[in-house]
Amino acid sequence: MGHRVDHEYDYLFKIVLIGDSGVGKSNILSMFTRNEFCLESKSTIGVEFATRTLQVDGKTVKAQIWDTAGQERYRAITSAYYRGAVGALLVYDITKRQTFDNVQRWLRELRDHADSNIVIMMAGNKSDLKHLRAVQEEDGHALAEKEGLSFLETSALEGTNIEKAFQTILTEIYHIISKKALAAQEAAATSTVPGQGTTINVADASGNTSKGCCST
Amino acid sequence: MKNSDSNSSLDSRINQTLKNVQGLLKGRSIPGKVLLTRRADPPEDPSLRSPTFGRSFSEIDAGTSDLMDMSKEEEAQDTSKQQNNNTSANKLKPMSSNVEITSKEVQKSVMGARATDSARVMKFTKELSGSTVILEKLRELAWSGVPPYMRPNTWRLLLGYAPPNSDRREGILRRKRLEYFDCVAQFYDIPDTERSDDEINMLRQISVDCPRTVPDVTFFQQEQVQKSLERILYTWAIRHPASGYVQGINDLATPFLVVFLSEHLEGDILKWSISDLSPDKISNVEADCYWCLSKLLDGMQDHYTFAQPGIQRLVFKLKELVNRIDEPVSRHMEEQGLEFLQFAFRWFNCLLIREIPFHLVTRLWDTYLAEGDALPDFLVYIFASFLLTWSEELQKLDFQELVMFLQHLPTENWTHQELEMVLSRAFMWHRTDSKVPSLLTFKYMVLQISHNDLSILSTENLQKKSTTSLFT
Repeated sequence: MGHRVDHEYDYLFKIVLIGDSGVGKSNILSMFTRNEFCLESKSTIGVEFATRTLQVDGKTVKAQIWDTAGQERYRAITSAYYRGAVGALLVYDITKRQTFDNVQRWLRELRDHADSNIVIMMAGNKSDLKHLRAVQEEDGHALAEKEGLSFLETSALEGTNIEKAFQTILTEIYHIISKKALAAQEAAATSTVPGQGTTINVADASGNTSKGCCST
Repeated sequence: MKNSDSNSSLDSRINQTLKNVQGLLKGRSIPGKVLLTRRADPPEDPSLRSPTFGRSFSEIDAGTSDLMDMSKEEEAQDTSKQQNNNTSANKLKPMSSNVEITSKEVQKSVMGARATDSARVMKFTKELSGSTVILEKLRELAWSGVPPYMRPNTWRLLLGYAPPNSDRREGILRRKRLEYFDCVAQFYDIPDTERSDDEINMLRQISVDCPRTVPDVTFFQQEQVQKSLERILYTWAIRHPASGYVQGINDLATPFLVVFLSEHLEGDILKWSISDLSPDKISNVEADCYWCLSKLLDGMQDHYTFAQPGIQRLVFKLKELVNRIDEPVSRHMEEQGLEFLQFAFRWFNCLLIREIPFHLVTRLWDTYLAEGDALPDFLVYIFASFLLTWSEELQKLDFQELVMFLQHLPTENWTHQELEMVLSRAFMWHRTDSKVPSLLTFKYMVLQISHNDLSILSTENLQKKSTTSLFT
């Protein structure tokens, strides 16, 4: 993506919202980014997009969220958006068993098209519709544990756990990134120690020096 | 076919278009923006909304099928007077009820339309009442908008659902309707045990989408309407297995529903109740919708097959066209990393239904259906024209702002004027593109329009001047 890195945030994290049609992905997004819930929302065609900036461990993080169409026919279009995504919110509807059973298919989609280190949170949405519940919360927990995912039940309508779901994903991503950065720093520090065989660095340095000589 | 148009019919169409544009530019200040003008935008102040805002679908439709004559009417008024009218209309709003204002508006526009539009209505009447309708002539007329009460017949003819021969028409329609009822009985009215898993999934997807089809127009919230929609979509999907049901096709059925119901339900769509209709009438409307949807989609089958190659191809063409017409915008979008697929996919998938107010959709579809087989290619021009309505704004936005802006374009207060502008421009670009191979002329035309110098827009001048402009 061609977004510029401006100074309003420290990190920009791309997140994808996936899951079956009608589970409430678009409302989760509008709740999180605009604090709006729309009972009369239309189906998402292709992909839609929204952002929100928030604080994670004292850093300003901009979440760039791509909301995808749930229908299978759109996979060819939407899977292109998995590229570069560092997080995914995989949503099912607790009142529709089928949408929970399809979670495995969505995980496969991610494995096929997304980065292998992508942070995945599973959300059982519409938790306000208790009387229509078709998927028990324990089932959600069990699946999440088996697949190594974070898990929350959410309600976009009531705003329950929406904030927390994104906050959790973003925090986890941030921790992974900062650990990697730390590891890279350590690697860089150790590589300057003589005797480590850093021939490439030496070659680079000498190349630069010679150019410098010529130009001055 | 558009290609077989004689020069004279093309010329008369361009004349109509030019009259439309002239009316627009002279008669009023344009709330939107002419491409590439350097004039500042009118402020987005809700109090400056045109008084037509808030008019219902059927009301606004009733009087505005011919923009040209309305514009002429308003040419007589001077601009300041018009502004006063606007303000007073808006001041009235909180005091009197909305209904009062709209009914006055409607009276005025209906009267205007009837008084000055009679020539056009007569032409339509003449074309439609012949023993054999000459489709080319009907297309030419319909391109600039069809009078609402003639829309059902005109659309059925343009789509090739009703035959041009009037003697055979009733019989064929009756047979086609029966054929649809048979299909419904065979495919839809069966227990789930007789459906394959894929069919069950498809039906589930359709039933998820029907309640969220045009949810902002309450008429579509009626259960019977949603059931009709479900039967149409499912039957179509079963009979077109290469694509099956694809989200967005539900949107495409709605203009047909509204237009064919308008034959039986009067007044404001907001007050329509489908239960006022006999089951027979509902069934016939449903059958007509089914066949017209089928005919429309026949012309773009690969838009909805796996990976939707037809749409991808048109999105690519759109990108190319925009680059030729407005290089700065194109470059800016490219620099920002914005891909056309990120916004134009939905445009092609739902034919702009999602992007403009619903009460304008049927007018847009008059032009679509008049284009016939040439529609997919012409869509590229319409969408380029639509996009470049915001040429200036777009250049100020960064990647994220661009995506957000293009997903929620500020068209909610659009009236027929803005739509006519989009269509007229598309027409002229298309005309230039096919007539003058050198595409540099685009920019020349664009600039000329922006300077309101409409004298060049006669076809001869256009050719003369554009050739010289190639070397400057």
